[in-house]
Amino acid sequence: MAVEGSLRPGGQATPLALNMKLLGHHELAGFGGIGEGINLQKAKDGRRILWLAHESAPKNFTAVDVTDPRNPRMVVQTDLPHADVRSNSLDVVGDIMAVAYQTKKWGLKPAGFDLFDISKPEQPKRISHFDTSGPCSRGAHCVFFVDGEYVHLTSGAPDFEPTHPKDDQFYRIIDVRNPSKPAEVGRWWYPGTRKGDAAPPPPRHPRFDGGYRPHNTNVYPQRPDRAYIGYIDGGAWILDISDKSKPKPVGHLQYSPPYNGFTHTVLPLIERNLLVISDECVKDNGEDWPKLTWIVDARVESNLVPVATLPLPPAEAFIKRGGRYGSHNMHENQPGPCSFRSENLIFATFFNGGVRAFDLANPLQPKEVGYFVPGTPKLAPKGSAQINDVWVDENRIVYAVDRFGGGLYTLETTF
Amino acid sequence: MATAEATPSTTRDALAGLIPVSIVTGFLGSGKTTLINRLLRRPEMNRVAVIVNELGEIGVDNDLVQVSSEQMMLLNNGCLCCVLRGDLQETLRELFIKRRNGEVIDFDRVVIETTGLADPAPVMQTLITDALLLDQYRLDCVVTLVDAVNAPGQLKQFSEPVKQVALADRLVVTKSDLVGEKQMGALTGRLHDINPHAPVRLALNGDIELSFLVGVGLARVNARLEEVERWLGAEEDSDHGHRHDETVQTFVLRFERPMPWAAFTQCLEVLTALRGPDLLRVKGLVNVEGKAGPMVVQGVQHLFHPPLELAAWPGEDRCTRLVFITRGIPRHTVSDLFAAIGAVGASAS
Repeated sequence: MAVEGSLRPGGQATPLALNMKLLGHHELAGFGGIGEGINLQKAKDGRRILWLAHESAPKNFTAVDVTDPRNPRMVVQTDLPHADVRSNSLDVVGDIMAVAYQTKKWGLKPAGFDLFDISKPEQPKRISHFDTSGPCSRGAHCVFFVDGEYVHLTSGAPDFEPTHPKDDQFYRIIDVRNPSKPAEVGRWWYPGTRKGDAAPPPPRHPRFDGGYRPHNTNVYPQRPDRAYIGYIDGGAWILDISDKSKPKPVGHLQYSPPYNGFTHTVLPLIERNLLVISDECVKDNGEDWPKLTWIVDARVESNLVPVATLPLPPAEAFIKRGGRYGSHNMHENQPGPCSFRSENLIFATFFNGGVRAFDLANPLQPKEVGYFVPGTPKLAPKGSAQINDVWVDENRIVYAVDRFGGGLYTLETTF
Repeated sequence: MATAEATPSTTRDALAGLIPVSIVTGFLGSGKTTLINRLLRRPEMNRVAVIVNELGEIGVDNDLVQVSSEQMMLLNNGCLCCVLRGDLQETLRELFIKRRNGEVIDFDRVVIETTGLADPAPVMQTLITDALLLDQYRLDCVVTLVDAVNAPGQLKQFSEPVKQVALADRLVVTKSDLVGEKQMGALTGRLHDINPHAPVRLALNGDIELSFLVGVGLARVNARLEEVERWLGAEEDSDHGHRHDETVQTFVLRFERPMPWAAFTQCLEVLTALRGPDLLRVKGLVNVEGKAGPMVVQGVQHLFHPPLELAAWPGEDRCTRLVFITRGIPRHTVSDLFAAIGAVGASAS
């Protein structure tokens, strides 16, 4: 007992916090494992409904009324058709929600995305299903849908045969201006990942082969001609999509190897010509450490220069706590009435490192300004909290979700 | 105002997220340990890290101690006592690192007990100038304890107690039950002469209202008028109407017109270069040309906190207000310097 290093009552059972105060917690009726799709809807009746995509079956998505963030209430929770599919990702524009579906194996269904009418949050109504299943397709891992017109999708396709089984998804632009008839208008893949490409298949990562496929595909109304793509082991890409039928690469940053791959999100700070690029930690107990979040000077798109990384607590303090520790998702400055947008403050999630906030006033020296690491949830399979994704609303209320059983945490910031 | 507060800033408030630090100083036997011991028992003080010189000194009952090591002790109420190790910078950095790593409690305040003989100035300087500490901590309050029985003699005999009183934001007189009314009147008068800006309270056996000792320093850049006044000290017109200590001069300079920042810093540079050790404490707001809000200035002898701009002027008064606590530097010397350098165009009002 009497040793340094244990001078906290309750150990991991109690949260760690700096400048973030827990307002509310919801375990989501025992299905508290959330993926990386969060979006906040302002419903027509004035309620604020947080939509959450589950990390895995059996649940599809859950809606929580967070009008009073101190008292979140579940509105609806839906089921997937079978256990070999996951939704993982969703986005909301007005009263329309896009939900991704990815199967465990090639050839299964449903694979692709659904559009739902969520004007009555208690009764989401499917408008259409965009099928991307195929002999070499697992469907869609991620949707980015913020303008009500196009879904920027990470998905396979029935006509796409990869050169390597892990490279089975690519970037697809889907026109949903008629939501009942989504249609592909453009696509781009890493040269060499499709059979028949002129380019040779790209080299595999020597230690952690995560694959060459996109993860997040972000496009913002301020720059409708640019797609910012985290391409897992293919690094970060900026595509010129002024002609959506012919996306053209204009910027690329590859830092793995020597780093450990899995580039996840490329968040542009458009006014400041900066990119914030997160990796995803995908291994437990620090095996793939370091998984970092990079600050990148993007003044010259064709010459992206990393200038700093977000300062994190030392790995040795967290990797022994169970599960993953390292970078993953960020709040992505989404447009819309219920989203916080800042080119100075970054909110990001780090699995057992919780949710953390950073000040980028000086991009060369980012500062950590707050954090919240929940106590270990009951029956946590990894023995620790695994904070997976975050949304920040226009009032700077933070919504953080656990990957497994912890559910939803609502927080306020005091910095 | 309400609208401004309703919309959260897209940037960080440079003060709001910092952990407040209180410095408890006072001459030997003035009751610092007793005061801290009592404070730690209050329910509101359940997440405090106290930095002491020796764990034994703090004298907490054994039944209050949950876990202890050579360097740290966790109390049942959640507070942490920590021994000053090496220098203060190192101890404060280590405490924050351990907090972040989840190795110690999520303390939300630090209390530093200085040794009885200590000059509190270096402790204050550490907090206002160390770049790493400035990111995590802010100086909230310097509390000086004054022993009613021995202080009159000590204040005559030694220079340290005078400096401890001069640098204080709050003065707490202990053992007042052991002296008569007349002696108390003389003592409080003497304290007021040395430092008219620091409110004085009596405390028996460390019993004192918490609100007197916390929330003194500026805690956000959107500070309201009362918050600024509490930090600066209520009594501004100290140059008129009462006596001064022979060694310590306290005065307020007011300048009505905005001044160029370069001229202001030049004045301070000259002052600190020539009389740094005698410039015990400077704090105030400066109306700088071209700035929407006032610049906050805080200095201890020759070292100054990096300048910080408040979001807006609190209240109608837009004058530069600077509180000087000096050793032997009269008011006119400073005001003449400002006039000579041309920072203000005209002499201080």
